[in-house]
Amino acid sequence: MKNKWSKTVAVVTTLSLLSVAAIGCSKDTATDTQTAEKWTGKIVLWDGPRWADQGGNKYHWLEDQKKSFEASHPGVEIEIVQVPWAELNDKLGVSIAGKSWPDVAPIDISGNGVNPTFIKQKVIEPLDSFFDAKEKADFYPNALDAYTQDGKMYGVPAAMTVHSMLLNLDIFKERNVEPPKDGKWTWDEFTDTMKKLTYDKDGDGKNDVYGISTYIKNGYYEAWPFLYMDGGRPLSDDATKFTFDSADSLSAMKKVAALKNELQVAPKEMGSGDVGGTWKAFSAQKTVAVEPWATWAISAAKKANMNNIMVASYPTGKSGKPVTIGGVGGWMVFHQESEGKKQVIADLLKQLTSTDNQVLSAQQYGTFPSRKSATEKNPFANDPQMQAAQKLSESAVMLPRHAQWKKIDEAIQAQLQLVLNGEKTPEDAMKEAKKSVDELLKK
Amino acid sequence: MNPSPATTNTPPTKPQQSRIKALLKTMWKERAAYLFLLPKMVLFLAFILVPVIWAFVISFQEYGVFESEWVGVDNFVKTFESDAFHVALLNTLKYTVFTVPLQVLIALGLASLIHPLGRFSQSFFRGAFYLPTVTSMVIIAMVWRWVYNYRYGLFNYFLEFLGIPAQDWLNQSDTAMWALIIMSVLIPPGVGIIMYLAGMGAIPESLYESAKMDGANAFQRWWRITVPLLKPTTLYLIMLSLIGSFQVFTQIILMTGGGPGNATETLVHLIYKSAFRDMEFGLASAQAVVLFVITLIFGVIQYRLLYRKGEE
Repeated sequence: MKNKWSKTVAVVTTLSLLSVAAIGCSKDTATDTQTAEKWTGKIVLWDGPRWADQGGNKYHWLEDQKKSFEASHPGVEIEIVQVPWAELNDKLGVSIAGKSWPDVAPIDISGNGVNPTFIKQKVIEPLDSFFDAKEKADFYPNALDAYTQDGKMYGVPAAMTVHSMLLNLDIFKERNVEPPKDGKWTWDEFTDTMKKLTYDKDGDGKNDVYGISTYIKNGYYEAWPFLYMDGGRPLSDDATKFTFDSADSLSAMKKVAALKNELQVAPKEMGSGDVGGTWKAFSAQKTVAVEPWATWAISAAKKANMNNIMVASYPTGKSGKPVTIGGVGGWMVFHQESEGKKQVIADLLKQLTSTDNQVLSAQQYGTFPSRKSATEKNPFANDPQMQAAQKLSESAVMLPRHAQWKKIDEAIQAQLQLVLNGEKTPEDAMKEAKKSVDELLKK
Repeated sequence: MNPSPATTNTPPTKPQQSRIKALLKTMWKERAAYLFLLPKMVLFLAFILVPVIWAFVISFQEYGVFESEWVGVDNFVKTFESDAFHVALLNTLKYTVFTVPLQVLIALGLASLIHPLGRFSQSFFRGAFYLPTVTSMVIIAMVWRWVYNYRYGLFNYFLEFLGIPAQDWLNQSDTAMWALIIMSVLIPPGVGIIMYLAGMGAIPESLYESAKMDGANAFQRWWRITVPLLKPTTLYLIMLSLIGSFQVFTQIILMTGGGPGNATETLVHLIYKSAFRDMEFGLASAQAVVLFVITLIFGVIQYRLLYRKGEE
C-alpha cells in the first residue's frame, strides 16, 4: 500500500515538474490574433524609472499611457516590465541570448542611440514603413540620425539630453564665491573657483567639501566634455582612426587629472565607477559643490530639495568654446513575426513619443524634445535651469557611431580611470588604449 | 563488399545480454526510486548537460540569434590571441592561488577549534559560521563595498586608528584585487567547517588516546593524526574551492566591474561581457570551454598530487 502511494507521488511529481518546465519553455501566443487589419494580443514593454508621482511611483506616466492605449485599441494588452536603467543593457543581452526579448524596450538617454550589435543580430525591426516623410520631418535630424543605420530607421527618438555642470549655489554662498557669469568659465577661472570651494568644514584638519567630482564608467560620458575642451576627440570624423592620443586630448586629460592629483580640489573617489556614490555626494551629503550630469539631474536635484542650483557650461580650453556631449533616448522594437502587431506597436510608439508627451517629459524629467513641434511649445518657459541647459545643446556634439563602439568605449574608459587615479600618465594610458582601439577599428 | 566484423552490428554476447537483463530487472524493481530521481535528472539534462554540450557546439560557430556560421577553431584562436583574455586569466589565477589555500586552511583551523567544544557550543559555532553560506553573495558584496568605502568604510576606520593611511581599496589597481581576495578569505568557509567537523568526528578516539600515552602533545596529535586523516576531506574542499575561485563573478560585477583599468577582470566576467554585452556567443562559448579545460587540468594535477601523498 505504502509502495503504491510512493509510486503515485513520484508519478504526479514528475508529471507536474515536466509540465511546468514545458509551459515555461513555451511561447505565450495563445491570445494573439494575427490579422494585418486589426491585431489583438499582448505587447510586452520594458521601461526604466522616470519621474515620480506624489506616491513615489516612477512608472505612473507609462501606466497612464498603457490605460489610454488599451482603451483606444480594444483587445490589446500592454504588460509593463520595470527594469532599472543600469541593468537594462545586461538584461536585454540575456533576453536576446534566450530569444525571449520584449516587444518594445527603451534606449537609455545617456547612450548614443540604438545598439549596432542588436541591428547586426537582426533582432531590431526597422520602422520606416510606419513613419512617412512628414512625420520624420518633425524629428530633429541629429535625433533621427542616432536611430538610423544603413539608411533605415531602427527606433523612435523620444528625448535628447546634454551634459552640463550642476552647481550647488548654497556651497558657493557659504564660501562667498561668485558663480560663473552667464554660466561660462575658462579653465583658469574654473580651477580658481574649485580651489575656493574646497575646504575643511568640520575643522579636523582634512578637507571634507570639494569643488568638483565625477565618475568614469563604460557607457557614461559626464567627464568626456572636459577631454574635448582643447579640441581633442576619441576618433577621427570618419571613425577610422583613434585620436584621443592627440596633443589636444592629452593636454585636456592632464588638466582633469590634476584636479584630483595636484590641485586636490576633487575627492579621492573621483574617477571611480561609482555613479550612485557620486550623485549622493552632490545631492544628499553635499560634500561636492559642482558635478557634471545629464539634464535629468536638474529635475532630480530639485526633487531632492536642492532649490539653489545653477546650470553652467563645461570650462573652455584651448578651443575657446564650451563643448558638451549630447545623447538621444528613445524606443526600439524587437523582432516581430506579425505585421499586424508591428503596426499596433508603431501606433504605441507614436503615442509615447507624441508632441504632448515630449513636452511633459521635458517639464517633468528634464529632457529636451526630439520633435520640433514639442520645442515650439516652449516647455521650459518657467525653468531657468533647463533654459540654460538648452543653450548648451547648441554646442553639443554626438559620440562617434561605430559598430564596435562599446568595446572602444571600454578600452578608453578603463585607461581614463587609471589616468584620474594618477596611476598612468595620459600618454601611457592612451598608448595602451590605442592598441586595443586600432584592432577594433580594423574590424 | 562484405562489411568488416568491426563495423557490423554484432548482437550482444550471452554474458552481456544477461548483464543488461539484470540491470533492467533491478531498475524495474526499484522503479519508484528511479521515478523520484527522474525530475532531477530531467532538470539536470535540460539545464546543465544540454547547455554544456550546446556551448561546446557554439564555440565552433559565429553564433547569431537567427543564423549561425561554422568557423572552426577561429573563436579559440581569438581567445588565445586576446590581451583581455590573458589579463583575465592572470587575475583569475592570482585570485585562485591566494584564496583557495587560505580558505581551506581557515576552515581547518576553525573546525579544529570548534571540535573539542561541548555539544551546545559546537552547534552554536557551526550555525554561526554556516550563516554566511546561505546569505546571498549580492548582499555580502554590498556590505563589503561599504566596508571598503574610502570615506566611511570600516576598514579605513581601523587603519586610521592604527595610524596607517586610508586607501581607496576598490578604486586603485594595486589594491582592488587584494581587497577582493581579503573579502573572500574573511567570509567564514561554512561548508569547509561543517565537512571538517564531520571528518574529525569520524576519527577513532583510540588513536588520540594511544598517541597521548606515547607522549604526543596536543599539536603533535593534531598534526600527526587529525591532519593526515582529513586528507580526503581536504582534497574535496580544495577541488570545490578551486572551481568556485575560477568562477568568481558576483563580487566582481557588483564591486569593481573588472576595474579600475582591468585590475579585477576575471574569466567569467569576461565571458559574461562577450556573451551578453557584445553578443559574441561563439567567442564567449570558446572562452568558457577554455576555462573548463583549465579548471579540469588544475583539478587533475591537484588530485594526483594530493591523492598520491594520501596514498603514501
